[in-house]
Amino acid sequence: MSARGSLERERRQAYWLVAPSVLVLAAVALYPILAAVWLSLHRFILVFGERRFIGLGNFAYLSGDARFWSALGNTAYFTVVAVTVELVLAVPLALLLQRAFPGRGLLRAAVLVPWAIPTVVSARLWAWMFNPDSGLINRLLGGQDINWLGAPGYALHAAILVDVWKTTPFVALLVLAGLQGIPEDLYKAARVDGASSWRTFRSITLPLLKPALLLALLFRSLDAFRVFDAIYVLTEGGPANTTETLSIYAYKTLMRSGDFGYGSALSVATFACVVVLAVVWLRLLGRAEEGR
Amino acid sequence: MARSLVPVLALALVVGLQSGCRRGSDETRGAAGGRTRLVLKYQPLWGPPGPFHELLSRFEQANPGVELVTEALPNASDLAHQFFLTSLEGRARDFDVLVVDVVWVPEFARAGWIADLSEAFPPARLREEFLPGPVEAVVVEGRTYAVPWYLDVGILYYRTDLVPRAPRTYAELERFAREAREREPGLQGYVWQGRQYEGLSCNVYEALWGHGGEAMEGGRVLLDTKPAREALTYLRGLIAEGVSPGTVTGFSEEEARRVFQQGRAVFMRNWPYAWAEAQKEDSPIRGKVGIAPLPTVDGEPGSGALGGWQLAVNAHVSPERRRLAEKLIAHLTSPEANRVLALHYARNPPRTALYEDSRLKEGAPFIAGLRELVERARPRPVTPYYNLISDVLQSEFSAAVAGLRTPEEALRRAQRQVDHLTGEAE
Repeated sequence: MSARGSLERERRQAYWLVAPSVLVLAAVALYPILAAVWLSLHRFILVFGERRFIGLGNFAYLSGDARFWSALGNTAYFTVVAVTVELVLAVPLALLLQRAFPGRGLLRAAVLVPWAIPTVVSARLWAWMFNPDSGLINRLLGGQDINWLGAPGYALHAAILVDVWKTTPFVALLVLAGLQGIPEDLYKAARVDGASSWRTFRSITLPLLKPALLLALLFRSLDAFRVFDAIYVLTEGGPANTTETLSIYAYKTLMRSGDFGYGSALSVATFACVVVLAVVWLRLLGRAEEGR
Repeated sequence: MARSLVPVLALALVVGLQSGCRRGSDETRGAAGGRTRLVLKYQPLWGPPGPFHELLSRFEQANPGVELVTEALPNASDLAHQFFLTSLEGRARDFDVLVVDVVWVPEFARAGWIADLSEAFPPARLREEFLPGPVEAVVVEGRTYAVPWYLDVGILYYRTDLVPRAPRTYAELERFAREAREREPGLQGYVWQGRQYEGLSCNVYEALWGHGGEAMEGGRVLLDTKPAREALTYLRGLIAEGVSPGTVTGFSEEEARRVFQQGRAVFMRNWPYAWAEAQKEDSPIRGKVGIAPLPTVDGEPGSGALGGWQLAVNAHVSPERRRLAEKLIAHLTSPEANRVLALHYARNPPRTALYEDSRLKEGAPFIAGLRELVERARPRPVTPYYNLISDVLQSEFSAAVAGLRTPEEALRRAQRQVDHLTGEAE
């Protein structure tokens, strides 16, 4: 009885102890989200000086807004291509980093450099490298004059390249962590059975890596879907909005046009997309964990 | 122990949030040592700090009760706009005098963020003393909301060693570029700003005026017109016919300047800042550059887009502070201040008389020589909704220039969206 009472007391104490962090979280995470949702139900344009409740009016307009759909398309394309390429490149990179060779520690640290540079800085560097006249990229391609950031077909791919360069090391480290969780015994057994290295990779490494890969997918796709800084520095969404993502559209509407209602509606729509994405990945991740 | 801490933490949080919301309401009332603190928000002027500080301290000497404080804004116009949007909408009172970009004045005035200065600076007097372009930008519906501080204007740079003289018409520009390129293959013709950003809108409006068009008609931003179609057709044609390289669709000012600076282009549209760079010791084009008004379709000297900054007063400050703020603006926009900014910071004076000033002619002959160009400078559409619609303008202009849509289609789309956005205001 007394043991139970002390447990009860401990539980109450635990609630008190987490209460401050819950409060802080509510203040910094929950409140802004709710405020954005509330704003998105208003017509609120600073320069008109008006603010009135219009229910779902902004969302009705959004469903017919060609610019929104094009931004959504750009964002989805960016996310799918960037994350796929990053994963495809990260797995071999992680396998390489796992091997024991002299200077491995140094290499492991070195691959993180792109990840460590602030995106705005690296995007600025890339913008100059993409410069069609004096940039490094066209020179490396043998004096081409590809208009990387000014031509509609190229600009989004240039942005994807910057993102891949920046985040592949991060994904590789996540995968590396997964690799290190695979018991060495399994590989020994496979060697005893005379499995080829391809077979070992397919039957042992890849299946056991699945949770790590899904985790990387989760992190990266949520991140890529909200991409803002690199593209804002590279192209500001141009040419002709072909690189405009949802975040950039929302930012311009909120901060340049001062249209807080519709801008918030765009943010809420972006948020909803990200939540759906997160739920799907978490489901898959849960299933992968169970399957182990 | 843990339990007693919780309410304290919660209280701290609540207090913190509240004082966060009330930011700025107390600070301004504070008078340091009995003196009133007057805050000027401006963008860095770049250059030796001495002369500007001297200008400010002269104001303090003349007004012993005032402590003048300057606070720097981000150097990007976009970020400065964002700052004012959030702080002025939040009724911040922690700054008194602020700089506003030439396209913001009607917006800030309409939103009630900047004070009506018509009594201290009657529009009629501004018209007498200042150049017509800047005055048009700061007088909204007959009332003064800001005073021009310094200005910028789009101009044509040309290579005196490659062409006989500055081109007066578009046809001449194309012909001169073609002839120069025939003599020197590998040379580019005309570089300008075609990237999707505000600079593109400046280039398009210049072409529009050059085709005899007007940006506004009776309060409506006019886009789907014959001159506008001709302007976009002309700009697209420059690229399609090879007069301008295809890469201009990714150019802002610096990309264009670099090509021109390296001696690889015959013509460039840019702001006056590129002159000093072109005349540097190690510049390959030193002494081979001329400037001229932009060409037009009929050979009349063209109008460059007006850029630059104005000084305004935060509408939320008290009447006494407003009077002091007006005094500060008068001081900072005086002929003397105009001269300091021109001589030490290469900022072009908005006061007409300065262009005849003997000290300016001697100390900054290039600026004095811009007179003909600054007199013709014209603001982009003067409307409170400019920032609301500038996104639409940029993306549709970009689509036409990049060849993604025909000028007709781009302008039709732009007009529809702009009418939708501004029509709601009625």
